[in-house]
Amino acid sequence: MNNADIDLDATDRMLLQRMSTGDRAALAVLYRSYHGRLCRFLSRLTRRSDVIEEVINDCFWIAWQKAGNFHGDSRVSTWLMGIAYRCGLKALRQHGDEPVEDDKLPEQRTAAHDLDDDRELRDWLAKGLEHLSVDQRAVIELVYGVGHSLDEVAVIMQCPVGTIKARLFHARVKLRNVLPALAGDSPKHKEKVP
Amino acid sequence: MTFPKNSSGRDCTGAWDIMPWVLQNSATQEQGDWLKDHLSHCEACSTEFAQQSRLQRALALPVDISVDANAGLKRLLGRLDTADTQEGSFRTRRGNWLNRALVAAVLLQAVGIGTLGMKLWSTGDSPAYRTLSQESASVAPGAIRIVPDAAMTLASWNALLHNLRLQVVAGPNDVGAYTVAPTGSASTAHTLQQLRATQGIRLAEPVAVTP
Repeated sequence: MNNADIDLDATDRMLLQRMSTGDRAALAVLYRSYHGRLCRFLSRLTRRSDVIEEVINDCFWIAWQKAGNFHGDSRVSTWLMGIAYRCGLKALRQHGDEPVEDDKLPEQRTAAHDLDDDRELRDWLAKGLEHLSVDQRAVIELVYGVGHSLDEVAVIMQCPVGTIKARLFHARVKLRNVLPALAGDSPKHKEKVP
Repeated sequence: MTFPKNSSGRDCTGAWDIMPWVLQNSATQEQGDWLKDHLSHCEACSTEFAQQSRLQRALALPVDISVDANAGLKRLLGRLDTADTQEGSFRTRRGNWLNRALVAAVLLQAVGIGTLGMKLWSTGDSPAYRTLSQESASVAPGAIRIVPDAAMTLASWNALLHNLRLQVVAGPNDVGAYTVAPTGSASTAHTLQQLRATQGIRLAEPVAVTP
């Protein structure tokens, strides 16, 4: 954790402390600060924007209730991500992990915003992630997307570090086998692990 | 941390392990340099690292799902308001219940006190005891206490009372004594004398001089 991370965490702790006294302005600041990264993380679990918003709000509802109980055993970001992960799993059990109605499909931004390369890269990723379980997608996002360490991911997912290592390993093997083919290459290392 | 270089298989395992952390910039400088050196002469690991880098770039693309943060926050704050209102309502309901219970308790207490007061009032005029300072019940003037013999007949008793112009005003008590009072103007001493001379009268004494 570098100095910038330490400063950010100190700010987050201060916001949590204010939230524990009922300060809604602090809640709003923390909400806006984490909305983007939680959106990104949860979009690896579900494609439904309504479910993502519901999970984010459930996450901050819990954070609001439990702010006074945060003892600082981990970074605030790790704590919040862990709450979001558990709320996400609960939402998936309730709603399923795929859109059920066409009118609830998320607004696709690819056509309007993405360059061709980005669109291709996004499609490549989406198809690769389809081959992974929810837990494996979460580990890939937390390690490669957010940049968490194995220890932090273990805290978020409430698993032993060995379990996280195994999930990361199997996710990488699957992606290694399917991503080259999705990119138009033949898999050179099929079923072969270093 | 060093990795063996004399075995390409073990080198590749080490390279596989540290790739995510080198991409994260959380690996040490030594690990980064070692991986760079390994990739320069291992095509398989170099291809894998390129794919890992592409994966990281893909994950860094903007989220393609639109979720309005302000709208979400507004709904969350609304949810907090609703929860506060419900909590307040619950407190109010609990407060109402408490007030009603207190009123019921006070009413019950008042009814109890009223009942007890009525009971005391009904027995207050005739206490079952008498203090020594209290005067005894009024006794008729010239009253005499008489204890007749058990063998005395009712006819003899009636005849005696009639001859001496006496009337039973109380008795018999626990020891069989009667209180009689004169209906005429005869003196008490004379009456007493006649009673004491009568056969069948075991005791005759004036009530007024009883200590």
